[in-house]
Amino acid sequence: MLLGVPMSDTPIRIRVRYSKAGNLRFIGHLDTQRLFERALRRAGLPIRYTQGFSKHMRLNLASALPLGFISSAEMLDFWLDEPLATEEIREKLQESLPSDIQIIDLDQVDNSLPSLQGSLLASDYKITLPEEKSCEEFLQKLEQLLAQSEIPIIRRKKTVDYKPLILEYSLEVDAQTRCTLHLKLSSTPNGNARPDDILKLLDVDPTDCVIKRVGLFFSSLEG
Amino acid sequence: MPKENSSLIEKILYSVEKPGRYVGGEHNQIIKDWDSVDVHWCLIFPDIYDIGQANLGLAMLYQILNADKSILAERSFAPWVDMEIELRRHKIPLFSLESKCDLKDFDILGFTLPYESIYTNVLNILDLAGISALSSERGEDDPLILGGGQACYNPEPVASFFDAFVIGEGEEVSVDISNVYQDWKKANRSRADLLLELARIPGVYVPSLYDVSYHPDGTIGSITPNHPGVPEKITKRIVATLPTHPSKFLVPNIEIIHDRMSIEIMRGCTRGCRFCHAGMVNRPVRQRSAEEIIPVIKDGINATGFEEVGLLSLSSSDHTQILELTQKVHENFQDRKLSFSLPSLRIESVSIKLMDELKELKPGGGFTLAPEAATERMRAVINKPLDDEDFYQTVTNIFENGWRSLKLYYMIGLPTESMEDVDAILQAAIKVRQIGKRIIGNSVKIHVGIASLIPKPHTPFQWLPVQSPQLIQEKLDLLKVGMRKAGIKMSYNIPDSTLLESWLSRGDRRLGKVIQTAWENGAKFDAWGERDNLQIWRNAFRTNNIDPDFYAYRERDLEEVLPWDHIDIGVTKRFLKRDYEWSLIGRTREDCRNSCFACGILDAFGDQRPPETICYWGCP
Repeated sequence: MLLGVPMSDTPIRIRVRYSKAGNLRFIGHLDTQRLFERALRRAGLPIRYTQGFSKHMRLNLASALPLGFISSAEMLDFWLDEPLATEEIREKLQESLPSDIQIIDLDQVDNSLPSLQGSLLASDYKITLPEEKSCEEFLQKLEQLLAQSEIPIIRRKKTVDYKPLILEYSLEVDAQTRCTLHLKLSSTPNGNARPDDILKLLDVDPTDCVIKRVGLFFSSLEG
Repeated sequence: MPKENSSLIEKILYSVEKPGRYVGGEHNQIIKDWDSVDVHWCLIFPDIYDIGQANLGLAMLYQILNADKSILAERSFAPWVDMEIELRRHKIPLFSLESKCDLKDFDILGFTLPYESIYTNVLNILDLAGISALSSERGEDDPLILGGGQACYNPEPVASFFDAFVIGEGEEVSVDISNVYQDWKKANRSRADLLLELARIPGVYVPSLYDVSYHPDGTIGSITPNHPGVPEKITKRIVATLPTHPSKFLVPNIEIIHDRMSIEIMRGCTRGCRFCHAGMVNRPVRQRSAEEIIPVIKDGINATGFEEVGLLSLSSSDHTQILELTQKVHENFQDRKLSFSLPSLRIESVSIKLMDELKELKPGGGFTLAPEAATERMRAVINKPLDDEDFYQTVTNIFENGWRSLKLYYMIGLPTESMEDVDAILQAAIKVRQIGKRIIGNSVKIHVGIASLIPKPHTPFQWLPVQSPQLIQEKLDLLKVGMRKAGIKMSYNIPDSTLLESWLSRGDRRLGKVIQTAWENGAKFDAWGERDNLQIWRNAFRTNNIDPDFYAYRERDLEEVLPWDHIDIGVTKRFLKRDYEWSLIGRTREDCRNSCFACGILDAFGDQRPPETICYWGCP
């Protein structure tokens, strides 16, 4: 070890909100995590590593974005050994990220805050339906579905009731009469709903839609 | 700019496994404006992205070609089975990762052929691209189909599918080919003219310009040019000075094999192991200096963010500055949380020093040694001499230095090999385990890997038959039972799986039909082993009335014209013959850096040799 390298005992926690789009929507959760690790290394930031036998970067993504979805609301935390101006961090990190990921906010946050993953409650989705879908017919089907006492969905051979997981919904029609569905869905370890599962129940092929995560809701976040 | 299919492709990506294989967009990807260049290349590795993307040759060509203003080079890979189904169902032709243009719209498709079991994938890719498999059936508007890579030192089995091959190293000749293509395209001349002009470039082989005749017994009569001005022999191309190493590597967005930055520190090997294809075809030895390598690693890490660096060569310990290099790596990168690997170390104490230098950068991991044979007699036959005493001393030192896991590689099926020689492998592994147990304790891990010899073209063993599967099985059984009893983990190739490699690597032009039939009957991804393709291959031989044993199990006469005799690797056939004869009497050759055995390489390339300050050559 070199002597004289200052290492603050208290790491600096940096929180990033970012968008993910384009080809990167076909890159999964673990791959996104590695993509950030490599981008942070390229950026030359004084990244905090875990101590011990096998050192790895401290990096914490709020929630896995399913393959194929785009987002304007992803979040992650990472830690630095030394304080730096957030503008500088932001600039260096953005420069080393692919253009399909854009930093929206970057701030230093308190180390005492709970983890993003642990405090995530819900996700907001905006789903652009296929052009040929009739909005009225779709709304009718959706309301019929929500009127059921249970909405069973089979995921990994287990049946999950989506009824309590659909927190809010609304429908919007634009000038071209194209239909956009807003869904607020539960995203906790006990109940994590996916919008594509709901679309399938409504006879809509999710691969014909643009599914965008537009918000994440946490139990206790500051800043 | 030709039509691209992005929106159609995106749609099918939702229904395939790992869609990240097909989207490109990696950090350091190069996208050029299609209409801004004259020659459009697509570099193709005919296996899936996960296997091919880390290929260093591909990375080098990608950077060299794209550095030229008149050239654009994109990439494509074999789609996995699920993607192929979707492409065929939606009638989407295979495309490049960068622009998503059809392969058919490119000028030149450059296939990397690092091993033979990849050939059926080439046919599948051409079919998915809507391009005829046979060179003779392709038209004026089709792309030029070019092959290159280590398998191309015997290009004959796939001669009918390729318009031209690069024999040897591609860094300079690829640009030559592109220039000839550019002039030809501007002059608006015929495809036949292009092939003739390509055949005049040193290191380029145009198989359709050569005729092969056969004796009644099936052996080759002659291989001769059928056009004036075409060379009788094609001498491989080398780069006299290793070019500046690339550092702006593409950073894959999905997990791939060898997901790290690879730096070639040295090319070729002077040791002359007689079974080793790479050691014969990649002469002369050339190396990059430590002063050159360190900045490449620095730039590479800064440009990619990779966490692991592989320092590649055929025999790392033979780099003249290897200790200096590992020390410099240590000094420069100890704070960077990187890990380094240094494969192919010789069995000598200095190797441990090298590994220790790097170990501090990466705790854990194991040590690998490749004695290849377990008796001193057998090691003399293969020209990998090593005293037993030195071997066990090195093993002892490895454990004493704290390594807890040791991998040992051996070969069976070697010439003159007896069951005693095979049993010696077992005895050696047991002894190594005892040494490990004594020093490390019960937690010591010994892993033995067994490969069976495929006598490869251009090696002193090229005349030998492959040993029969029965005999190989007998040898494997002896080892398997013994290792199990001794509690030593062993892995090996089943005899059947090496058969395909022996047919395809040792074959001639007549195999083209067999390859095509096998592909038509569903053979693909032959390198994956898990798909049981061997029966398809046997049937394909039968359909075409060709005896596979002719290629695998026949000892070839020393005077026979071999299918690859017109491919000149610089090392002469005379040298290989003498080395084969020496092998049978157990006579060794020392490292040829110490004394020249006139293998022919200096006669072929000596006039290109640069001063040592520019690029070190291993030849005396």
